This record gives sequence, C-alpha cells and structure tokens, in this order.
Amino acid sequence: MALPQSLRVSVTPPELELVASQQLVEIVPLISMEKTAFISGAYGPLRPPNKAKVPLWMAVNLKLKKKCHIIAPPWLNADYLQDRLTEETSQPAFSKLPFRFTEIAKVILDVASDDLESPDKIRSLLKDLREARQAKSREGLKTLDHSELSLPNLCSMEINEIRPYFVQSMSIFTQLVRNPAPDPLREA
Amino acid sequence: MDWDAQYELLKAGKAIPQAGPSYTTRNESNIDDDDMRPVLPGRDPGDEPERRRTNLILDEEETVATPLERLTRHWMNERHAPDILPAQEDLLMNLLDHLRRQSEAVQLLREDPSTSEEEHMRIMLVQTEIERVKFIVRSYVRTRLFKIEKYARFITTTPEVQTRLTAAELDHASRHAKITDQHFYVSVLQSLPEKQSHLDDTPLFVPPMITEPDKTRPVFVHALKQCPRIRLPDGATLEMEKGHISLMPYSVVEQLVARGEVELI
Amino acid sequence: MDYDYFSVEAILAENQKIQCTFKHAIPGMGHLGGGSERDIAVLSKMQIPIWLAYTIIYSDWAEFNIPQPFSSRVRNALRADACSVRLSNLVGAGGSWYGFGKTIMDILSDEQANEMSQMLTKAFRERLVDVIDQAQHFAALGQANAGGTSGNAAQSFREGLDTTERELFSLAQESAKQIKRWYEDSDRAKH
Repeated sequence: MALPQSLRVSVTPPELELVASQQLVEIVPLISMEKTAFISGAYGPLRPPNKAKVPLWMAVNLKLKKKCHIIAPPWLNADYLQDRLTEETSQPAFSKLPFRFTEIAKVILDVASDDLESPDKIRSLLKDLREARQAKSREGLKTLDHSELSLPNLCSMEINEIRPYFVQSMSIFTQLVRNPAPDPLREA
Repeated sequence: MDWDAQYELLKAGKAIPQAGPSYTTRNESNIDDDDMRPVLPGRDPGDEPERRRTNLILDEEETVATPLERLTRHWMNERHAPDILPAQEDLLMNLLDHLRRQSEAVQLLREDPSTSEEEHMRIMLVQTEIERVKFIVRSYVRTRLFKIEKYARFITTTPEVQTRLTAAELDHASRHAKITDQHFYVSVLQSLPEKQSHLDDTPLFVPPMITEPDKTRPVFVHALKQCPRIRLPDGATLEMEKGHISLMPYSVVEQLVARGEVELI
Repeated sequence: MDYDYFSVEAILAENQKIQCTFKHAIPGMGHLGGGSERDIAVLSKMQIPIWLAYTIIYSDWAEFNIPQPFSSRVRNALRADACSVRLSNLVGAGGSWYGFGKTIMDILSDEQANEMSQMLTKAFRERLVDVIDQAQHFAALGQANAGGTSGNAAQSFREGLDTTERELFSLAQESAKQIKRWYEDSDRAKH
C-alpha cells in the first residue's frame, strides 16, 4: 500500500512536530560554526556567546549534544501562559496562541527544560490551557452542521486531534440533510 | 524503495529531462567549491533568515518563500484534500536536486581525513536536514500514489484529472487500472454473462462502479489572505479574513486551494 | 455510510428488509418474500431487502411502510431523550440506524423525507457529544481500566450505539490515544 491506513484520514503528531521544527528559535551556541547553506536556508555563523537564530530541529540537535542553550520563545514562560489561561477561562473564544505552540512547547520542554524558568509551572499551565481549549472544541461539536464551522485561533495539534471525528461527523450531517444546495458556486 | 531509485524514477517521469537552472548550479558548485563545504555559492545566503521573517511570537506570518516551505504546504494540502491536486513537478525536481547536491557534499567531506571536529558537527546537521527533507518528499509522493491507485480507473477515464498528474504518475495509474481490471476479469467477470462483465456500469440505485474522490468531504481551511466570498452548503455566504480557520466541505474551497488563497491544515 | 460501489458496509446496509404491500398480483414470484406461496397476491405483505425493494417500489408494484426502527414510537422516545434510545437494538448487531434511515429517506415522498431527515439529524446531533465524551473517557483510562465502572447509564448508552456512532467512537478514541502517546514519548527518553 502506498500509504498506511493510519495516515489516510489525518496527519500524525510526530509529522506535525516535524513541520513545526522548521520554525526558527534563538540559541546561545557553545560551539563555533561557519555560516552554512542548508536546504531550508543559510544558518550561522555560530560564535559563542552571541545568539543565533536556527531552526528548532537544529537547536534540538545541538542541545542534545550540549552544544547550545535554547532561548525560550517570548510566549513560552509562566507569565505569558498564565495570562492566556486567564483569558481562556474568562472568554468564550479561543485565545490567540502561536499556531504550532503545542509542538514547539513540547519539544523545548523535552530537551531543554533546564534552559527554561520554572518548567514545571509551564507544563502545568500548558495542561490547563489544553483542557480549557478542549472544552471549547466540545462546544463547537454541539453546533456542528453540514455546512461550516468557524474555529478561529484553533491550533495545529488541536485541529489534528479533533479532525477524524469532526470530519466524519460533518460528512454524516451532509448525508442526513435533504437536498443540500447544489454544488456551491463561488460568487463573482 | 532505494532513494536513488526513487530519484531516477521521478526524474524519468519528466517528458523532457531538462537541464534546468538547478543542474547548472550543481555542476558549478562542485567545481568552484574548493573546500567542498555544503555551502551554496552563487548567492548570498546571508539574507535568508531575514527574508523568511518567521515570527514565533504570535502570528505565524511566514511568507512561504523557500522551496521546502512550499513543498511542505503542498504535502499537507495533498494529505487533507480528497481530490488529487496538481503535481508540483518542478518544485519536487528542484528539491531532489538540492538533496543530491547536499548528499554529495556530505559524502566528500566524510571521505576527507582532514575534516575537523567542527566540520563533523556541520556534517551531522546537514545530514539531519537531508533526512527531514527526504521524509517530506517521500510522504508527499506516497500520498499522491495512494490516491492515484485508489482512483486509477477514474483517472484513466477523466482527461481533466490527467492534467494534474506527472507523466510517471499517469503511467502508473494506467498500469494499475489495467492490472486490477485483468484481475477482476480473470477471477470473476469472465464467468458472468457478457452484459454483467463490465467495470463501468452505472446501474440504477447503485453507486457508479468507478470510484471518484468525494469532494463533499470536509477539510480544515486556513485563509492565507482575504478570500473572495464563497457560498456554503446551507446557502449562507462567507468571506474569510486572512488567518480565518474553518471546517467545511472541500468542494466549497476547491478553487481557493487551487489558487493558493487558503491552505489545508 | 460511504457511497462507494466497493464498500462492504454499503452492501450490507442494503440487506435491511422493509415491509412491502403489493398493489398487483404477480404470478410465480412468491419466493421473493422467502415463503412457500407460488404467487404474490394483491395486498399481500412481504419483507423485501432494500436492494430489491428499490425496483419494486419505483415500478409501482408495491408500497412500503416506514420500518419499525423509524416508527412514531421510536420518534417519541427520541424526542423524550435521544441518548436513552438503544439504536443498536433497532437495527440489530452491525446495523447502521442512520444508514438505514438515509436509505429510506431517499425513497420517501418529499414531506415524509423531510421529517425523516429531521429526526435523523436531530438524533445524531443530540447523541454526538456523548459519543465523543465517552470515547475520550475510555482513551484516558488506558488499557488497564477499560471496561471498569463508568456508570450503568453510560454503559447502556455505549451498547446502544449503532455502527455509524461506533465508528465515530473509535475514531475519537484512537485520536485521543495517539496524542497521548505523543505527549508521553519524549525526545529526551530517546537519547
């Protein structure tokens, strides 16, 4: 088979992590490296202790070999996330977070928690955020129909988690509704 | 499949194997680059990170500029769309070519005993990226292959779809359709009366025998710019602002996907 | 509930039988209902599988009654509390209540079809959130505690799901498990 069953209806979390790992983060390198052309762009030069911007996958690679410190993105700290959580629990809409915040936060927490301030607090805030936002997706499910469901600020990993059953449910609505309007034509 | 074999297969699919700009660059780069670092000469790589302006703060305002970013977007679109999207042959060839150049450079550095410790770190990073890019390329190609096999009969009977396939993909579709037809014929159809031994009947009250992509399947859409008004299945209209995210049937946004005004997420 | 020639589910769904009342006598066709009569007499009633009923109804040889799973009794029960109705009991093991309903809807007159569509859509919507909640609850429990005590009403609801809902249940469960695995699988552990 050209594509395994599990990959036909959705995308896997590791695949989303792979995509997210292309995003740039700041590091403090502990080794020197000339500016180098990669397929995705040129990175470097690395000159300790000067900061440099590299893709997350490269930062993870260097970090695991103890060749850099990762500087947390501006949103990955307890204060910022606490504000988002307050917003999340007081407003009906999804609060605005970076589209791939789940993936990036997990990767950095996994390999570089020693570079973060109060990583445990961050973990627990992320967990609370996740739960508050899941409750909102659930509200979305209640209003699902055969036509359209707007989900502003829903993030990559969250979409992926609800995708299989949101898509299937909407398909079922489409079949149960009588005479859905003829093929929607775009208006001029 | 072996990587080089896959490369050759894809390359062979081109009607005319073009010695495009990327090929010339490769030749030059190998000759000019004395120390064989995997650094591309011929352009200033310095402005790349600035140009990309990937902003991790809040809004993912990336301008999709690099070939890899473009392929990643096509890969995700292809994974989510029920239909087969137009092949990105030039983009793919460009990346395959780049992959090959990087691999060759790594190979040369590896064989060089004078390669320093620092260089080894660089080789490792370049190698890591090569694997990442290979994964995306493979998954993209396989995603298309899956749909092509599933809708092989539909493809062979629908000229419009054929325009979205590469020559190699089209050839694969025809052969796949032929093989399954033969299998059905030998194992079942030849024993049935002539009237019932076809694979393209459209009997009443029964779905058509040729499986088509189900364009009513919903997809998650992310507007990359302000989109023209679309009409939804319930009759309402929607004008998506840039950044808008919605779940809706693919048929509603098919044109927007084709024009790159939205991406599937 | 997919509409594909090679879909086994679609083929099985058409094996559901509906009661047809014949408007004409049809000699020599008594075997259709599985009985021992030689002929079909006027006004005789027979249980005919859907795939065959299409032709018979469209040719105006017979009328059909709305099948019991969609009777006014079921309708009232759904209206009272959609989640307490055991859809699986109505269509038998492996049956799709929604798929069957959709099939019937497609051969009804406009007015009746609209009513049918409303009933199906409403039932689906009212049960959907509970289906997903339970799937996620089960995924969170993990292997060890699955099947434990999660309340009689919940268990009864799960047993009452039709195949359409069961499929959604497993999609949601699988998705929740997949993301749980990802969260638990750390890069640090790999290195």
